[in-house]
Formats: sequence, structure tokens, C-alpha cells
Amino acid sequence: MKKYILMPLLAVFALTAAAQDFDTDPTLELENAEKEVKFTVGARMMADAAYYNSDFTPLQSGASITDARIRTSMTYKNWYFYADFGFGGGKFAQKNIFLQYSHLDNNDNTHAVKVGYYNDPAGSMARNTSLGSYHFISRPGSSNALGEGRELGISYKFNSNHFMAYQGVFTENAYNKIDAGFNGMTVAGRYLFRPVVDENQTLHVGANVRFAHMGGGEVTNNVLKKTLHLGQALETYVDDDDQFVSCDLPWINNVFDAGAELLYHNEKFFVRGEYMYKHTTKKRDSNTLWEASNNNIDTWGSYDWWLAANPLRNDNFHGGYVEAGFMIFGNPYHYNMQEGLLGGLDGKALEIVARYNYTSLNDVNDGEYFAIGRNQYYPNGYMEDWPYASSSVGGGKANSYTIGLNYSFNRYVQCMFDYTFHRLQKDFLPYDKNMHVAQARVQFTF
Amino acid sequence: MLKNLVRVGLLSAVMLATFTSCEDEQQFTNENTDARRIEVSVLPDNLAKVRDYVPLYAVAAHRGSIFWTPEETEASWRWAREMGADYLESDMQATKDGIVLANHDENLKRTTNIQYVFSDYVPTTRKDFYRSFKDENGNQIFTEDDINAQYQRDVNDFRTFYTLSYYYAELLMLDAGTWFNNSSLEEARPGFAASHNGYFQDGKLVYSDGLYVSALQDQIAFAEGKKLKRDANGVRVLPYRIKDKYKGMTLEQIYNSEKKTVKCDDPNVAYSYAAKYMDFVEYDFDNAYVVDDQDTGNRPGIYIEFKESWLNPKDMEVRVYNVLAECGWNIITKPATDSRFYTNGKVNVGNTNGKVILQTFSFDALHRAYDVFKGQIPMCFLLWISEPPYATDIAFDTPTGYADFIRYGQEYGAHIMGPAISGAPNNYPEMNQPWQAYMIRKSQMLNHPYSFDSWAQMAKYMGYYVDYYGQGNTTMFDDLLRLTIPATPFTNFTGTNSVPVYLDGYFTNRSEISLQYMIENGFRCNSALPDPFHPGKTYDNSQAPSTVPDPKALLDRLGY
Repeated sequence: MKKYILMPLLAVFALTAAAQDFDTDPTLELENAEKEVKFTVGARMMADAAYYNSDFTPLQSGASITDARIRTSMTYKNWYFYADFGFGGGKFAQKNIFLQYSHLDNNDNTHAVKVGYYNDPAGSMARNTSLGSYHFISRPGSSNALGEGRELGISYKFNSNHFMAYQGVFTENAYNKIDAGFNGMTVAGRYLFRPVVDENQTLHVGANVRFAHMGGGEVTNNVLKKTLHLGQALETYVDDDDQFVSCDLPWINNVFDAGAELLYHNEKFFVRGEYMYKHTTKKRDSNTLWEASNNNIDTWGSYDWWLAANPLRNDNFHGGYVEAGFMIFGNPYHYNMQEGLLGGLDGKALEIVARYNYTSLNDVNDGEYFAIGRNQYYPNGYMEDWPYASSSVGGGKANSYTIGLNYSFNRYVQCMFDYTFHRLQKDFLPYDKNMHVAQARVQFTF
Repeated sequence: MLKNLVRVGLLSAVMLATFTSCEDEQQFTNENTDARRIEVSVLPDNLAKVRDYVPLYAVAAHRGSIFWTPEETEASWRWAREMGADYLESDMQATKDGIVLANHDENLKRTTNIQYVFSDYVPTTRKDFYRSFKDENGNQIFTEDDINAQYQRDVNDFRTFYTLSYYYAELLMLDAGTWFNNSSLEEARPGFAASHNGYFQDGKLVYSDGLYVSALQDQIAFAEGKKLKRDANGVRVLPYRIKDKYKGMTLEQIYNSEKKTVKCDDPNVAYSYAAKYMDFVEYDFDNAYVVDDQDTGNRPGIYIEFKESWLNPKDMEVRVYNVLAECGWNIITKPATDSRFYTNGKVNVGNTNGKVILQTFSFDALHRAYDVFKGQIPMCFLLWISEPPYATDIAFDTPTGYADFIRYGQEYGAHIMGPAISGAPNNYPEMNQPWQAYMIRKSQMLNHPYSFDSWAQMAKYMGYYVDYYGQGNTTMFDDLLRLTIPATPFTNFTGTNSVPVYLDGYFTNRSEISLQYMIENGFRCNSALPDPFHPGKTYDNSQAPSTVPDPKALLDRLGY
């Protein structure tokens, strides 16, 4: 009789455990079969050392506790609760916290509803992959610049052998701690098709879409101004300065993201990549701003002229990456069907990896002049005392090439070594063309 | 397990060795280091030729003098000329009738008694001014209806106290000296104050009898050794009339034929309240001056600044070009034949191709001046920084930002960079640190910082402190900035003095201090100065005046 109780319980455990965004089984388990409850607790620590060599602007080489985290979960029948808390950098931070209800139908399809604070499904494949399972020290720059992270919301995921449809509704700020405005709203979805799925290999192709109406902002002179910051560090955490590839987009209104992804792995090899596109729209209370400008003798004269001098336009940004890895020895690469993600190293293993990443946060109007001494674009092609405002964005571009070596002592302890060469281009930092990053990580996860 | 640890240990050791072997790595953003390694555009040959029109270590008397006299007036420029400054410095504004003023502020509140004479409204004497235009029979030219209608337009266009709202003749009704006596009590002199303001009498305008708001023509005349022509009562003699091309036109027709004084082609100011140009008045500048009986023969040049471009006529640069040409001071239309900056102990810059230096902070003015002057007259691109950045500021005075402004200046015909310097009493931001002076020198442009008020500042930027104890201290920019100055009969040292020098000329509020410092330290009155722009060659300014007049005694001599 006991067997009949335990079997479905174990099946549920298997289903719900796969919903975690890390891929090592927690070391400590407390299980009360009578009450059908399992509690797990785990932890993670990442310590990085990095050396940077730049053409011009120095980064701060050194070492850092990149991440330190305590993770807990509880499973009861079809219900799964997960929470983890970070204290890397000496600061406590809430990470994931969610509740999930899963159901396995008669056709072995999974239906899961998830509520809480967790990764946006369309935030990019890279951002949905736990850093503890990643095959590089950092996720690709483009996913940090153009992808999204955790959001508060509710989602529904359908998963079958060949398909996954994962979509939800979210809001930006988990605590609604915003100075003004509403908390924003996001609708996002990730959709996968797996034409090849077997024990040894998987091929998936996918797409994601995301629409966000931005929230928050600050109020000045009775006008709400929302600003979106986009940026990436140089694929490193020891110095996470994002000045080389970053921008601020004032008067942001809506953000539309679209992406495509591909992943293939077999026992010894994996390749995966994504393309990311971000389209932003702007909105402001121009009339109030125009009226506020009529407070001195140098008035603009008319609303139309003010608008002409202060143009707003939509922006478009692109990015993408390709990653590949080869297992020299160790357990085969494995695929997480429930998440549609590649797993990390499992057990003693040695692999080499390589990555190419491209990020562009440049959206510059043709013919404009950029003055470094003012960090300003001039629409008429030369500097003027009171020019019309430029709508150009010069956030910078990065072409990044990484090779890496990962060695896993066992399922808990791993060392990683990455070298990345960045070829940068940003109008404001003309002398920062080449950046070399050599970094190492010791990672302990249980 | 032990094998694994050995592997990781070896790998870590290799990485550590790699990291620490790069000893020349820059650990922080270092302006000194960056200034040496980034690219600085070098002045092209055609601009370098014009640069050499300017004397090395030129002394520009800032606004004539702001310490001893009311600035930018007859008193200040006569004083600066007699003091032996190389340049009479000024700022240019425009009046409603398009006269180019040599006046610092865009409004007249600080340096005149305008608020007492005209209040803050359109001068009540404006209609009398229009009535003062008479034909050959003595009859009023403009009708009362025409005058009343124009007055209303003037009201609509009026901008309180701004030069562009007043006719030049109206400005000659003001007292441009009493304010100084009230604010600089120790330097106050009766001769700076007018005994009466201007007024209309019998339909005729009578100017005040003191110091006046200056026109550019006035400044040039003072540089030429002249002074204002005055009548027996000390009132300036400067008749005016209607220009020939406007004769027969009503004020309304004149008004409609003229353009706005601000960016007239820009739609954004179509409804601006800025005054409109009424460029119909001709002043008899040809007969406005007499030989100055106190002139001792110095012939300085003029160093004139294009000011707020958005307030002045869009053809401001053309107007300046024309005034210079009319006065014989435009070297494009009339090149100088004399190249001696000093002769027989006198300043002679005003007779050379270096007689005029243009200057501006304004990007618009730099751009437009390049269209007009084509880089053929020396131009100084001035630098300022503030927080938040003003429209014409350099916002990032990093080596990269500095190099960017240097390049932009050269692209639009600048030969000189003009950074601000720190120090009391102005306490400007420091923009002429050694690395900045180094970058300017690297560009082969001249470095004319502003403004000097003390001996301490002179010593700071001309190397005295570096070698204070004669210890031969070196600096990291010595390769370009250190000069070896040979002694002269006037120096306070013998043999040679090796010092880093962070300027090639400057603006000074205290010409007497600056000149004395230069003479005593061998930068002036020296026949064998090293020429940093022509390595291996020497620069000779031995004929410059070797004595500096007492500033107070000089003012006595000039009659103030």
C-alpha cells in the first residue's frame, strides 16, 4: 500500500523539482511521507577573480564574492514553493519566490500555473538559465542589455514532449516601491518546438515576445517622466561597470521585445544562440512641458515649434549570441524539458566552451555631429549654442569573443576560467576599443 | 582529489603570474597619463601661419581694466594702451540700430545708470529720438502717427536693459562711470563720473558728459592713440543721420524691411519678444576722434569677443568684419606690412597682422565667424565649465573632451584655446592644469588663459613655483612645456632660468602686475627667448617697453 502512495508522490516531486531554476538536487532534504511534504534547503556561493586590460579606461581588477545564496523549497502534492535569498556583495536581496501548481494530464503533458517573483519567460533563454548552471562565468552581454530578469506575476506553462508554451502577465516592481505612476504591466511568452528529443540529444527552436507598458518614473513640474536604463557589463561581475555599453531612454512608454532562439545538444557537444530585438516607444506630456517653458522672454512661441525642437522618436536595438561547448570528459550534457534549458555540469567533468556576442545600443540619426566634450549629438551636423534636441541614442556596441574552460570536481564544486575579448565602439569613449577580460570562478552549489 | 587540487593550484598560479606581470597597467583614470597618450589634432599649416601673427606671451588687458577703471570705456582703454598692454580686450554686443558695441554684458544694468535714466521700460525719450531726425530745412522727417505706431512696436519688441533694445545714441545719454566709483571706492575718481546724463533740448539730443558705452570704432580709435572728440562742455561729438538707403522711408517701412536681431531665420523665435533691428541710423565715426595728447606711442591690437549669439544679429560677424574694414583694421582687406610687435620700447602690435584677435565661447559664433573670416584672423576658442553645463560649456573637461574641443576649434578656424584659471578673486574653475596646457601645446595652438589678477597666478602658470628653490624640479610635461629663459638686464636672475610655462599669452585684470612679472622673469624685453612653436629658433621681444608705469600716476596723467 505504501508503494502506491509513494509512487505518485515521487512523480510529483520529479515534476516539481524540475521547475527549479537550478539543476543540482539540494543536498539537504526533509521528507514527511505521511504528510506528503518534502522540504529542501540548499546554498550557493560564487567567488570570482578577474583581470582587466583596457586600451584606455581602466576597470578594477580583483576578486569578489559574486553570489551567495540560500535556497529553500517545499513540495506538497502538486504544489511547489520555492524561495531563495541572496547576500552577495554584503547585501541581503530577495531573489526568486514563487508558488507553482503543476498537473500532468493523461497525455503526459504538463500544465503549470506559477505565481510570484521569478524570471520573465521572454527575458531570454540566457536570463532564464540559472547562473549556477551556466557554462560561462557570465551570461552573454546582449541578454543582460536587452533581456529581462525577475518580475512579479502569474504565468501558465504548457509542456509536452515537442512543444512548450510559457506565457504570463507581470509587473515590474515586486514591492510597488515607485516614486510615482503605476507599477507597469508586462505580457510575455516563450514558445519552443522540439523536433528532436531523445535520451542523448535535443534540438529546440523557439521564439519569444514581450510587451511592457513601463511604470514608475519621477515627477517634475507636474510631468511624469519614465526612464529606461539599458546596459551590460563586460560579461564580468568583479567590476560590473556598464559605461561602455549602456544608455538611458527618457520618456519611455512601451517596450516591445521579440527574440528567436535555438539550442542543440548531444552527449558531448552543445550549441545554442539567441537573437534579441527591442523596440521602445516614448510618451510625454508635451503640452505641460511647453507651457512651463513659457516663463521668460525666450519663449518658444508656439507648441508646434517646441515640438519640432524637442522631438521624440521610437528606438530600436539589437543583440544576439552563439555559445558552444565540448565535453572532454564527464557526464553527458542534459536538457531540462520543463524549463526548455540546457543543464549545467553534473559530476566530475571537464569542458571547453566558446561564445560570440553582439550588442548594439546605438540608434543614431544620420548626419548628426557628436561632441565628446559635451556627450551630445547635434542634429545639424555641427555644434550650436541652443540646438534642437537630438533623438539619437549612442549607447555603444560590443562584439565579444569568449573561450572558457570549466572543470567540475563533483556535482557541487566547479572551477571556471574565461577569457573574453571585447571590441567596443561608443561615440563618447573613442579610445576604448579593445578590452581583455581574464577571469576565474570557484563555485560551490548544493 | 589531491591531483585535482594540484591542477587548480597550478592554473591559479599561472593566472596570478599573468595578472601581476602587467606592471604598467593603469590603475585609475589618470588625466596626466591620458593627456600624453591620446591623439591631439595638430594645427594645420595655414592656421599655424595665422597663429604666428600673434606675439608670444601677449598681454591682453581684460576689458581694458576692471580694477583701476570702469571697464570697456575710454578710460580703461587709454589706461591699458599707456600701460603697455599688447591688446585691448573687449566683448561685442549690438544695439537696436546695429552698432557693434564693445561692452561685456548683454544688458546695461551693471555698468551704466540705465535704470535711473530710462527705468525698465522703453525710453520715454524714444519718440523724441525719432523726432530728432530733420531734413535739410529743419523739418521733422517722420510723422507723429508713424512715430506713435513705431513706438508701440518698440514696446512690443522691448527687452529691458538689453543692448538690442536701445539705439546707440540713447546709450550715449548714460553715465558708464559712476557705477564704478560706487562699487570700487578705493579706485574711484571724479573723472570717471558724468556731471549730467543725456537729454533732449530743442528737439536735439545732448549726450552725457562722462564715460560712455563704447562702440567697436571707439576701441579701435583708442588703440590708435586717439581719444573721443568732445565739445567745450566735455560732451561727445557724434552726429547721426538717416542712412542714404533708408531716406524717404517711413519707420514702418524701415521696420518691415529689417530682420529680427536674434536668429532671424529660425521659426522658433518668430514670436519672440526680442527687439527688431532698426539699422537706419548712421553715426559720423569718421570725425568722432582726436589725437590723444597723452599718447606715448604704444599701438596695441584689439582682442574682441563674440558674445551671446542668440541675442545679437545673425550677421554680427559680417558687421564686425565691415567695421574692421572701415577702420583699416581688417587684415583680409588690408594686410599689414609691418611685422614688428615692438619698436623702440613701444608696443606695435596694432600695426601688424596680429592687430585683431577674435574670441568666443559660442559655437554659433565660432561657426559663423569661420564662414566670414575663414580662419585668416587669429581666433581664440574660449573654454568654460559649470554644473549643470551651460549651452556653450565644455561639459567634460577630461583629456578626451579637451581633445575634442581642440579639434573642433581647429575645424572652425581657431588658432588659440582660452581656458579659465582658478584663483582669487574670480575663483573660476581650473581649466589650465599642466596636462591641459600640455594638450594645447601638443596641438600647436596658442594657450591664452583667463583672467589673471595676481602675482601668485602669474607665478603659478609661468613655472616659478616649480623651481621655487632653484632645485631644478622636473615635471612630467617638461618635454613640451619647459623652457630655458636667458637673463636680460631687467630680470631678477642671472644666467638662465629653466621653468615649465603653462601659457603663451593671457588675459589680465592687472596689467601692471602681469607686465612687471614678465619683464622680471625674462618673458618680455628678451632678445633670445626660446620659441616653443619653432624649436631651435628664438623669439625676440627685446623692443617691448621695459618699464611699467605706476597705474595711479598714469590715471592722473590721463586726466581722471
